[in-house]
Amino acid sequence: MTRARPSPKGLSRAYLLVLAPAAFLAPLPLAWTGGASREAILLYELALAFLWWRARRGRPVRISDAAMNVAGLVYLAWLGFSAATLRPGLLPTVAHLLLFTGLAKLASLKRPSEARLALLVIFLLTLASASSSTHVSSVLYFAAAAWIGFRTLGLLAVLADFDDAPPDRVLAAVPTRGLAAVAVLGGALCTAGLFFALPRLHGPFALTPFRVEDALGKALASDRVDLESFGAAKRSDRVILRLSSESDLAPEDALRLREAVFTDYLDGVWTRDPRLGARRGERAAHTLLAPAGRPGGAAVISVDLNVFGQGFLFLPYGSSAVQVERGHAVELPDGVMQVSSSRGPVRYQAEVRRVAPRGAGSGGISPADVPAEIQKYAIELTAGLSEPGAIARRIAEHFAKDFVYTLDPPRGAGDPLVHFLLRSKAGHCEYFASAAAMMLTARGIPARLVTGSYGGEEGLFSRTIVVRAQNLHAWVEAELDATGFQVFDPTPPGGLPPALQAFSLLSRLAALGREIEFFYDRRVLGFDAADQAGAFETARESLSAAAGSLAALKESARDLSPAALAAILGAALSGWMIWRGRSRTGKRHGPATQAYVALRRLLARKRGVVPPSTPPAEVARLFAEGVPESGEDARAVVAVYCASAFGGVEPGPDVVRELTERVRRLKKLA
Amino acid sequence: MTRLIPDWEIRVTNFGLGYILMCLVVAIAAMNTGNNGLYLVLAGMLAAMIVSGVLSRRNVRGVDCEIEAVGEVIATRPAWLKIRLENRLKTATAQALFFLHESLPGPLWVDPLAPREKRELVVEGMFPRRGVYRDADAGLLSRFPIGLFRKYRKARLSREIVVYPRPESSPVPEPVPEDARGGRPHPRSRGGGSDIRTLRDFSPGDDPRDLHWKQSARMRRWIVREREAERDRVLFLAVDNALPASDPAALARFETAIARCAGAALLMLSRGAEIGFHARGVKVAARSGQAQRTRIMDALARLEPVAPESAPDFPLMRRGDLRRFVS
Repeated sequence: MTRARPSPKGLSRAYLLVLAPAAFLAPLPLAWTGGASREAILLYELALAFLWWRARRGRPVRISDAAMNVAGLVYLAWLGFSAATLRPGLLPTVAHLLLFTGLAKLASLKRPSEARLALLVIFLLTLASASSSTHVSSVLYFAAAAWIGFRTLGLLAVLADFDDAPPDRVLAAVPTRGLAAVAVLGGALCTAGLFFALPRLHGPFALTPFRVEDALGKALASDRVDLESFGAAKRSDRVILRLSSESDLAPEDALRLREAVFTDYLDGVWTRDPRLGARRGERAAHTLLAPAGRPGGAAVISVDLNVFGQGFLFLPYGSSAVQVERGHAVELPDGVMQVSSSRGPVRYQAEVRRVAPRGAGSGGISPADVPAEIQKYAIELTAGLSEPGAIARRIAEHFAKDFVYTLDPPRGAGDPLVHFLLRSKAGHCEYFASAAAMMLTARGIPARLVTGSYGGEEGLFSRTIVVRAQNLHAWVEAELDATGFQVFDPTPPGGLPPALQAFSLLSRLAALGREIEFFYDRRVLGFDAADQAGAFETARESLSAAAGSLAALKESARDLSPAALAAILGAALSGWMIWRGRSRTGKRHGPATQAYVALRRLLARKRGVVPPSTPPAEVARLFAEGVPESGEDARAVVAVYCASAFGGVEPGPDVVRELTERVRRLKKLA
Repeated sequence: MTRLIPDWEIRVTNFGLGYILMCLVVAIAAMNTGNNGLYLVLAGMLAAMIVSGVLSRRNVRGVDCEIEAVGEVIATRPAWLKIRLENRLKTATAQALFFLHESLPGPLWVDPLAPREKRELVVEGMFPRRGVYRDADAGLLSRFPIGLFRKYRKARLSREIVVYPRPESSPVPEPVPEDARGGRPHPRSRGGGSDIRTLRDFSPGDDPRDLHWKQSARMRRWIVREREAERDRVLFLAVDNALPASDPAALARFETAIARCAGAALLMLSRGAEIGFHARGVKVAARSGQAQRTRIMDALARLEPVAPESAPDFPLMRRGDLRRFVS
């Protein structure tokens, strides 16, 4: 078998310079997604930077085939050993292999075919990065990859026709920046259209919960909540949901969203009563009523829930009918709504009535679950009080006066709640709510812990409320009077999540980022067949509406009086003639004439009116008189103009460039 | 290195085929996994194909290319070609262009052409064989923008390029001396020269100045001098162009004969000889000088083989002229 003749060193250098930026960019996201170890990526980038630096200096590294073979064998042995013993997982193993192969190819570029192989490896690294990146910032990565990829492929296309080192100007000349920008923008538009049009056969692979931090996952993605992880979850900046309403919502309706109810406590962990898991049966009113049939004051809210665990829906108090985009909503005995679909972001609508907020059901914490220390503490604190409301108020006042709100409470031995009440006296909302629920139970008042969210931020582009992880909250539902489970929030005011507030300019920018993040999470990362069907339906409706508008316009055009029609036509004709006249004027003057006219204008600005009869030579003389240092430029402009206008000698590209330069100088001097 | 001048306008490159294959691979991976990151990559790759098609459509088509030879062109010897390029596009820069011509050792890089820019390039090339190039076997090639396709646009020839054969030294003998066959060659025609061919009876129309008075007196009738045409013996170089077209060896011999004929003609003309050229169906009258050099070289450049069965005869010669076949 004969091998292709090695390329000249200069050509290898050119290939390396062209491929290096793409190779540099390709694996970067793997460092954050865990697709490859950071040390390996750092080593790869440093080695690549060295190769690039050597190539820039005109001395590209070219390792011999024998050395590469030895290195390859050693690496394969190491790869086998690490896969067998360290078990880094499939993606890191493959990514490390790709990193090594890419680097090896770039360090030993001898033939164009090896450059193509290196390009393939870079592409595979890009695929690995793209498929494992779920953060919204990967949009930046895609943009950078598009720009650098276009440039790299463009230059490789040029190098393919060179058998020897190309002149340096070739690599600098192609592709021109303007065209590359147009290409990338056009490509981005096409990409957006194609992305939403490509057929989806499976549900999305990577969903938002996939990248939610552990704590947030524990706090939301299960039917148990532990006190430790809830505080950590609240530190997150993730968007949990976005809520919008057809009509104005009273702030109290939208601020407090109920998600799950907990009644069983053991050693810092709340779990749901297993008996509550038995479904009470599907709710009859799962179809929203038409606006006409709704009771007075009822509003319909739409919620895009971005984080999803056991299917518990965030709903305001007073929610009645709930309609879920996919699957069925089931109401559990404690009033919690759960959807049956397996996983994934979910969108739902609910009818919210203006009623006093009351939790459904009758289950509360069993008094037997209350630790003895807490019972004693509650009795001591509320001694002398018998009215439930007064007891609750005493507890809340006690917390506000003697306790500190913190997301990072000190840890101690034993039951965290006992530690919180008796020793640390510092905790976050779930500590306060848990302690209050326990203390109320200890005093014989039925109570339970409720998790959900409180507050939110106004959306930037629409009347929506964005609820983030920092808005996660816990409170108590207790039977403080005979009206059912009332909301009792014992968390000190300083610990309440930020309520609905207006945006400053800075926060608007931040909100824009959040909108993008939400859009990426919900509409890009979680885009699926149902979304696609919805998008097509929306597009179809938009087209129908546009067609209807057009028909209406046609109808209204028929009703136009002849005079109005004539006026419109006249205006259009005039506009067209003006445009045509301008474009013709623009075409008529050559560069020499344009330069001369510019010179005349400058002279007119300097000396007042320049009569049309002033000959070109006089124009140059007068200008030179006014600005002596510009005499040569003025004379040169006039000379080129005379040669063009009277001698029929059109200036070449070099002369045109020179003319432009001269006119620029003249403007500066004038 | 062998580079063929394309006979197509657009072709998918090997890289393009690989690209399409990778699109398929990514499509299968995306559909099987439902990974929207892969869907994004796939959409980007497909979008790049669309953008590539749109951008490259005008990149080559928008550029006019015209070529002409500068001076004399002799096969396998360096020759100058003038290339005129004009970007007719108003807004787009034509870029990543290569000029292809078989006279050039490889594709010639053309720096990007700004909108409406005209440019002239003079390049040194080498035509591999003699002949007449009426159709430009040249053009502009581009893989712009990302190498998925190769697009080619043929150049125009401002006029035909005649490539003369490369002269080779030949064993063609010098013209024989005048006495090689016992004196002056046999006169063949009447004319107005100074030598007298014969005496004959006067016939109407004869120039009275040709009357041979003494002989007329002797013969008692009008006798006139008939003069020999004023010309020397000339040499016609000849190449037999009747040969089977399917015989490569015969074709090679034919080309060698043409090259040797060119060598002999140039040598003799340089010595001031009067040389003509004959082939089947081709005749260049005998002359001397620089113009004759061009005529003979032009005839040799254009000489085509003809099939023996339909080949015309060699042109007739006047008596006394010589025809030497070059082989």
